Amino acid sequence: MAASSAVVAILASIWLCSSIAADASGSSSETTMHTNNWAVLVCTSRFWFNYRHMANTLSLYRTVKRLGIPDERIILMLADDMACNSRNKYPAQVFNNENHWLNLYGDNVEVDYRGYEVTVENFLRVLTGRHESAVPRSKRLLSDEGSHILLYMTGHGGDEFLKFQDSEELQSHDLADAVKQMKEKHRFKELLIMVDTCQAATLFNQLHSPGVLAIASSMKGENSYSHHLDSDVGVSVVDRFTFYTLAFFERLNMYDNASLSRLFNSYDPNLLMSNAYYRTDLYQRNLQEVPVTNFFGSVMETVHTDSAYRAFPQKNTPRETRIRTGKTAEDDSRRSILTDMTKAECPFTRIVSSLESKMETVGNLDSLVNYGLVMILPVLVVSVWLST
Amino acid sequence: MATANTEEEKSKSEQQKNHGGGGGFTRWAVLAVIFRLTLIYFPGNLNLSSRPEVSTPLTSIRRLAEGYWLKQSSMSPYAGSMYHGSPLLLSVLGPLTVKRIEGQPSHILCSLVFVLADLISAILLRATGRKLQMAYRKSLKSLNLLNKSTDSGGLSSGDIAALVYLWNPFTIVACVGLSTSPVENLFNILTLYGAATGIAPLAAFGWVMATHLSLYPAILIIPVILVLGYGPDAPPSKLFRSKENGKVGDDKSSQEIIFSWGRVLHLLVWTSVWSVYVLVLCSISVKQHSSLQEMFQRTYGFILTVEDLSPNIGVLWYFFAEVFDFFRDFFLIVFHSNILFMILPLAIRLKHRPCFLAFVYIAISSMLKSYPSVGDPALYLGLLGLFLDELADMQFCFFLFCGYVGVSVLSPVMHNLWIWRGTGNANFYYATAMAYACFQIVLVVESVSSMLNHDRKLMKLSASKLQK
Repeated sequence: MAASSAVVAILASIWLCSSIAADASGSSSETTMHTNNWAVLVCTSRFWFNYRHMANTLSLYRTVKRLGIPDERIILMLADDMACNSRNKYPAQVFNNENHWLNLYGDNVEVDYRGYEVTVENFLRVLTGRHESAVPRSKRLLSDEGSHILLYMTGHGGDEFLKFQDSEELQSHDLADAVKQMKEKHRFKELLIMVDTCQAATLFNQLHSPGVLAIASSMKGENSYSHHLDSDVGVSVVDRFTFYTLAFFERLNMYDNASLSRLFNSYDPNLLMSNAYYRTDLYQRNLQEVPVTNFFGSVMETVHTDSAYRAFPQKNTPRETRIRTGKTAEDDSRRSILTDMTKAECPFTRIVSSLESKMETVGNLDSLVNYGLVMILPVLVVSVWLST
Repeated sequence: MATANTEEEKSKSEQQKNHGGGGGFTRWAVLAVIFRLTLIYFPGNLNLSSRPEVSTPLTSIRRLAEGYWLKQSSMSPYAGSMYHGSPLLLSVLGPLTVKRIEGQPSHILCSLVFVLADLISAILLRATGRKLQMAYRKSLKSLNLLNKSTDSGGLSSGDIAALVYLWNPFTIVACVGLSTSPVENLFNILTLYGAATGIAPLAAFGWVMATHLSLYPAILIIPVILVLGYGPDAPPSKLFRSKENGKVGDDKSSQEIIFSWGRVLHLLVWTSVWSVYVLVLCSISVKQHSSLQEMFQRTYGFILTVEDLSPNIGVLWYFFAEVFDFFRDFFLIVFHSNILFMILPLAIRLKHRPCFLAFVYIAISSMLKSYPSVGDPALYLGLLGLFLDELADMQFCFFLFCGYVGVSVLSPVMHNLWIWRGTGNANFYYATAMAYACFQIVLVVESVSSMLNHDRKLMKLSASKLQK
């Protein structure tokens, strides 16, 4: 009897602790503030006939940059180089439309992982943040618990897998595992995964981390089709899902507050020739309240504080935060002596502090220094005259 | 009576020579100033201010302008490890770097300040040389070794030293290339002038300012004390003592050289007065955004810890680029005590010639200092001219001259090959730096040995005269 009651007590305490922990982790995403946005844009196919996947990724790169995310917070992974491909009739130019109106490969495209560096291993390392120490900062996803991350992947895929470089696969449990690791390590506040491949929705089957929103271009058993063929370049230049996504975003600028539900409802199955599927069961917020710039752009909330920005620091505020380097312990002690005049015992420090207070009333210290420098000459002349 | 007349004639002819020499000196000095001003008006200062030989982290005018801008933007002038000089220099030269005059080259006011500093240094060198030469003549006369052949025709050694200083290509490059070494050299020469003329506050002021601007002139306190104590350069005192023992009081004045402690105490008092004054001014200057401790850390600490390893004509940068961190402190101590260890033996051996001792100290410190520039040989080659009478028999003069010319031509070439063309590497440039250090060593060794030979010759002559 005593043993069973002890076991019940232990089980109850364990359940209590786990519920508290679950509550804590569950409510942590609401208590942390959204501070920054990241984008991880991955194109996984190589070879010239997969031009459209490169154009997809670069179009989204351009959109995301236009709406405000800087290059430091974009990880762009391109598995092949279409712009300087020897089959490209327009060297150093990548188009996503046959009217060639927009050159996606403009002046400042920063590719973080290029060519054969785009592997499943590197992709998972980027997501989980487990790199070797020699990997530079520009190749790391340095997100924290206040980050919203947009993860966009395009290429060839199938039932619960996505093909990388025609030689490897990323499977749905790999992705789910990585996302779970990210959640454990507080590497994101909210994550939007957007996948444009055939049977893309199956990639999300294993996801169960909270705070994840996922949208795919097609469901199980459906293909995602390219939009149109550019007869000049010779290959298809864009996929349908990405084309209509871009069409949605081209109408926006940084300050629009179009919601995610508007984006998700803008996909027409007849135009896409597949069913766009989105998964919101892991996401707590209402999609109509979330602006698209929460993921696709970088619009920050400014928090107004009352403390004024001072160019010259006030001397007599003891609780001022120290921003400048080079202040020593002596200065700190002197400042505390200043604010606490009654405690000064040594007459020397009293003289020094009174001199300092007088100097503050002088005003411009530079003119004092200049006077001092000018005074050197007469003092020198007098001393020379005295000693001869 | 006859001797008095000949002495009068001698002094008159000396005066005439001095006047003639003076006219020659002023002519050449004015020409030197005009030459500098012409070079200043070339576009972009002939790109001299970007050369590593001219602008080191301590002497570069661009760093000074950056430090001034930082100060004007309410930040510490030492932020970001750009400026490593004195805050007083910042107050003087800083506003001049900002002021632009229409139609004139940039930094024209700073260039004028440096030209003025060079001119004043030359005038002070001339006066110091005159003092030294008078003391030399007096000591030779008291030994009865003075004869017509010791009269140097034309220019005196002071004039020659001043003209060498003004027309030295190193000085001209340092002045036109806008490095702050003309100002540092001015204070070094002011120290020697004050010491040679016996004006303790002037010597103290020069020493305090020179040490404040760059750390190494601190070792000049020893020659300054010796000059004020014993008087300017003279043959060894045992000559005078043996002469007294030999002859029965022929001269009126006693040649006993007593160390005058009074003047030395006077000097020390003035040194402390000036150092307190300079420290107070500095602390007022850095009070707002920085602290005195940061100032010392960024000026003296920067010099002593050799933080910046960009190439220069010295020997430290290459070494400290490859030394392991574990041994870095050890080698810092080794390099700096290399200068310190030579102080005492040289002071003991050359205590009767303190101005020459000062020259040797300056030459050694400019060889082993952390960031040498082209202003350092400018200083000691000018000072070398002060001792032409004693160093007339110096060996390897031509070798040294060719060596200096060769190094100053090859060093920029190797730098170009290494940095701009990429066909050379650091070893090419460091080889010229090492060759330059070797030539400096040869110069120091040869000048000291020829000075000691000169003293030995004087002793032999005086001994032979005594025997007569």
